[in-house]
Amino acid sequence: MANNNDTLLMAHLMRRAGFGASRIELDALVEQGYDETVDHIIDAKPEIPVSDYMIRRYQPDHGSLMGSTTNGSNWLYRMIWSDVAFQEKIALFWHGIFATGYSKLANGKVLHDQIKMFSKHGLGSFENLLVEISRDPAMIVWLDNCESHKGAINENYGRELLELFSMGTGNYTEQDIKEASRAFTGWTIANTEYMTLKSQRDSIWPYGRLSFHFEYDPDDHDDDEKTFLGRTGKFNGEDIVKIICEQKATANFISRHMYSFFVADEPPVPEWPYKEPNDSAAIDALSSVYFDSGFDIKEMLRFLFKSEFFKSEKVWNKRVKSPVELVAGALRLTKEFDRPSREEYFTCLRTSYMGQWLMHPPSVEGWHWGTEWLDSGTLVERVNFSSSSLGNLKSAGVKNIAENIRKSIKAPFKPEQVIDLALDQLGALIVSDNTRSNLVEYAESNFKSIDDDSKIADISNEDVGEVLKLVGAMPEFQRA
Amino acid sequence: MPDNNKSLVVVQLSGGNDAMNTVVPYTDGIYHDSRAAIRLTEEQVIDVNGSLGLHPAMGSVKKLWDQGNVAIINGIGYPTPNRSHFRSMDIWHTAVSDSIAPDGWLGRTIREMDPNHENVLTGVNFGLGLPRSLHCKEVPVASVGNLDTYGLMTDIKDTQNRDYALSFFSRMYGPNSGRDAIMEALGQNGINAMIGADILRGANDSYASSVEYADNPISNNLRDIAKVMFADIGTRIYYAQHGSFDTHAGELMNHEKLWSDLSVALGDFFDDLKAHGRDKDVTVLLFSEFGRRIEDNGSGTDHGSGGVAFVMGGSVNGGFFGEQPSLEIPEQVEGDMRFNNDFRSTYATLLDQWLNVDPYPILGDHYEQHELIGKV
Amino acid sequence: MPTSVSNIVYKSTLGITAMQGRGFYFPYDFAFDNSKKMYVLGRGHDGDPRGCRITVMDFEEEYYGTFGSHGEQDGQFIWPSSIAINSQDKIFVSDEYLDKIIVLSTSGEFLFSWGQHGTGDGDFDGPNGLTFDGDGNLLVVDHRNGRIQVFDEEGGFIRKFGSVGNNEGQMDLPWGISTDSNGHIYVADWGNHRVQEFLADETFVKNFGYYGNEDGQLIHPSSVTVDSNGFVYIADWGNHRLQVYDSEANFICSTRGEATLSKWAQEFLDTNVEEKEARLKSELVFKLDGFEDDPHEESAHVEKFLWSPTAVKVHNEYVLIAESNRHRLQVFHQLS
Repeated sequence: MANNNDTLLMAHLMRRAGFGASRIELDALVEQGYDETVDHIIDAKPEIPVSDYMIRRYQPDHGSLMGSTTNGSNWLYRMIWSDVAFQEKIALFWHGIFATGYSKLANGKVLHDQIKMFSKHGLGSFENLLVEISRDPAMIVWLDNCESHKGAINENYGRELLELFSMGTGNYTEQDIKEASRAFTGWTIANTEYMTLKSQRDSIWPYGRLSFHFEYDPDDHDDDEKTFLGRTGKFNGEDIVKIICEQKATANFISRHMYSFFVADEPPVPEWPYKEPNDSAAIDALSSVYFDSGFDIKEMLRFLFKSEFFKSEKVWNKRVKSPVELVAGALRLTKEFDRPSREEYFTCLRTSYMGQWLMHPPSVEGWHWGTEWLDSGTLVERVNFSSSSLGNLKSAGVKNIAENIRKSIKAPFKPEQVIDLALDQLGALIVSDNTRSNLVEYAESNFKSIDDDSKIADISNEDVGEVLKLVGAMPEFQRA
Repeated sequence: MPDNNKSLVVVQLSGGNDAMNTVVPYTDGIYHDSRAAIRLTEEQVIDVNGSLGLHPAMGSVKKLWDQGNVAIINGIGYPTPNRSHFRSMDIWHTAVSDSIAPDGWLGRTIREMDPNHENVLTGVNFGLGLPRSLHCKEVPVASVGNLDTYGLMTDIKDTQNRDYALSFFSRMYGPNSGRDAIMEALGQNGINAMIGADILRGANDSYASSVEYADNPISNNLRDIAKVMFADIGTRIYYAQHGSFDTHAGELMNHEKLWSDLSVALGDFFDDLKAHGRDKDVTVLLFSEFGRRIEDNGSGTDHGSGGVAFVMGGSVNGGFFGEQPSLEIPEQVEGDMRFNNDFRSTYATLLDQWLNVDPYPILGDHYEQHELIGKV
Repeated sequence: MPTSVSNIVYKSTLGITAMQGRGFYFPYDFAFDNSKKMYVLGRGHDGDPRGCRITVMDFEEEYYGTFGSHGEQDGQFIWPSSIAINSQDKIFVSDEYLDKIIVLSTSGEFLFSWGQHGTGDGDFDGPNGLTFDGDGNLLVVDHRNGRIQVFDEEGGFIRKFGSVGNNEGQMDLPWGISTDSNGHIYVADWGNHRVQEFLADETFVKNFGYYGNEDGQLIHPSSVTVDSNGFVYIADWGNHRLQVYDSEANFICSTRGEATLSKWAQEFLDTNVEEKEARLKSELVFKLDGFEDDPHEESAHVEKFLWSPTAVKVHNEYVLIAESNRHRLQVFHQLS
């Protein structure tokens, strides 16, 4: 069957602005219209059918969110249950940039709070977001800003703020880092000594972990004059952020990150000073929107999704799914979990076997994306997961897909119908000729016995399920 | 013997093994005074040298010790000890203690051994999720949860059906798949994964042994390691984990079970190696991310520093390396044992003297080595 | 009717976080045997099987050991929810994942179990709250079936009542259950934000509370107990507090909790002096914006407050309340 371009384009949008969509979902969105869908996704307040109360009742660790995998597992619920997954995708985007890790904090709740902050502020002004992340207790401990004092600065936060969170290397001097660090002195957390000690010792005693909160210590703040990026004044943190946001380098850096995450894999960040963007014009366009809109992330993304450089077929499937995208996308299709379930914890752990343990980025540089997700070890996990999830008829979504496929088979029966229907049902997926011909040949041997159109009715869900397992294993499913 | 036969088996004791109740200073009054709730008595421990004894559950380890095949490295650690599981384990994994490094010492080692990735099974991890110690950009390492069931598309239970499906898998990922950079990466890794899985399945099938391992995770892992080893597929680094040694409460009971399982597994493993003539080709490293506090907390012990590591094998010089830390208060570090030898010395020793790999590019510095390897 | 005391008086705290051994990990319920030993049922969490166990201690914080473990074999648990001990000192545990009632001796030996997933008599869909009535029969909250089932002490089905809904006598994902000296039955009707009171013959009597966070209102109550004076104590799980009503369902007082260091907690800090010292220098009680509307958030920050109270019971002249997220029990004096 032919997929008209509108459906394929919508499928591409949903893979990027969410975690994908099934054919049925796509039909409704195509009805709505492309631009309207972009606006709807971007402006929506997502709803989640299963409340926090419900999750906490059955899985009490989700109530304290202290554990090292629990809060990732809690976030996975939101990724698979939100009616509009865009906000979770944005939070994932920021999590990869403002990468803060459990390893040093030993406290899942503060990381959860940071992700919540991304959901709340991640689509507003970038200036506001930088202020929020500077005040974020998890970040303060992660990058040692609580150890930065008037007269004895710790440069960690100042450095990463400039290098990884805004302008990128080469756009500031070591002196700028020092001045920025001076401006952020006093930005700390309450009960610093006790909280950091508990983190260092991974102390859950006596009564579990405690949440951190931001505290501004004016006595520890260096309020003398500073010179930052050529400007002079008695800058505090917010002033530094303002100056940073006014720089072209910031616009370009953030635009390039957006391009890489939403349009097509860019090379890793350390190579950015040496490698031009794949589409400089797109980066320039995004930078303009950044300035024209007053650093508004939402408007940048609205522009991005409506632009030709995004909609172009040239960038369809040009990203390797991160492990979290792979798992969340598959689970949204299969609907394996419809209520709080202990199995979901172990499913979430699988993203760690694939190389991405939510809230455990290996360092503040975050995870390396693109083809770096793939090696012969992680690929085994990825393929096995996709294959077994998509072929598991116990999941309501898979059962539905199998039934839809069976209902749509028409006489004269050709096994390739099953393949084309499967690819369609799974979200109007596009595959290479090589993949398709192999899937078809596999289907042909599986459906050998259906040699008469009257036997079409004999085709069972199980028969379809067997074929879905190979579809799940195909290389295209690893891409978005 | 050619270097390629020499392999290193690293068993990570996760959670912080209580060194003081493993190699017990049972004649030291301070030990008994500090551990009213969890001390081991002179009658209980297995004496080694008149002042130190092994935990009572370590019978098999003692047997290996008596054969001169066990090196005990007391007081092992690193400067400014970190008592967080993750941070400290990262330090042991990356061999970098003053900053956060993304890749692991064994990953770098595999890269040194096989820079062109000719053998995707140079390093094999037994357990799910690749530990950072094995992680290095572009270095493939298989993670085998269970060798019996390892492979691609294992959801298809019937072997014939699975092989049939895999023949299509290999064509979808094979050279005709039409290449952009992403498909190139998918294809290459997909085929490598298949090759690796096939070879590992062969190793599983060809295994024959009269040794009966116990049925628990560490025994299963060591047996899987033996299977792969005897199949001679060129694996040089093996990794497994055992735990959790994080005995904050209920230590006596839990620590006993952990060491009992481990000691028996090691005994069986070495019996298996001996039966196949391999005991001189293998060196085993047991390590943990830190030791535990000198004083108990009423039921167990909390995170400390200054731990103990073991190096075992037919080619090992048995004995004590490093010093037993003093328990006197002036020698303590915030209530913990003070380390007296850097773990990277042990790494350097194994890299240089056992694996014949230059430790400097892997560890980034020179570390004094122990005379652990080679019979005197 | 004596003049009601306007405040419930805190006494002490029991327990400490422990993933295994002496302490608790997400305690969901507790019960006393005839020799006054206390059995605390740890729910644990999905990623770590060690937390799932029963910790044996007494009111003076003597520790006697643990038994039970995570798994599907006889005597093991997956999602243990409630614990009750009968006059023969047999321990009954409900498991809302396995859909079973598991019976153990006080030394942890598995005796027998019954139950399977379903809607028939003796089947369960998430068995939860447990209590023994005056006849020695076991009342089981079969929560997803919205009903209470009654069994004899061998697990023989006797009768059932209730259905899913929000009318009188109907329940929505109920949790805890209790009886008073008159044989009245009280059910924490979690989904309907109320506690329902029934006569022993299952006739509906009245409701306690309704949705909200003001005095006397409830959000997802988890447990209820009645003292000898007829005061009704409700673990107001969603509001993270303990509320007290009189027998006419009038609100009397409530508390967010006032936990202090238990004996085991003190021992930990005495051994870990740096933590003790850092803690002494800290301000552990404070108020932030947003705490008023979000007691869950407040309890995450302020250690002494109740955080997800799961079970409340009377013992001698005290009221004990278990809080899963803080891995301890707080002890209050009964109202007089």
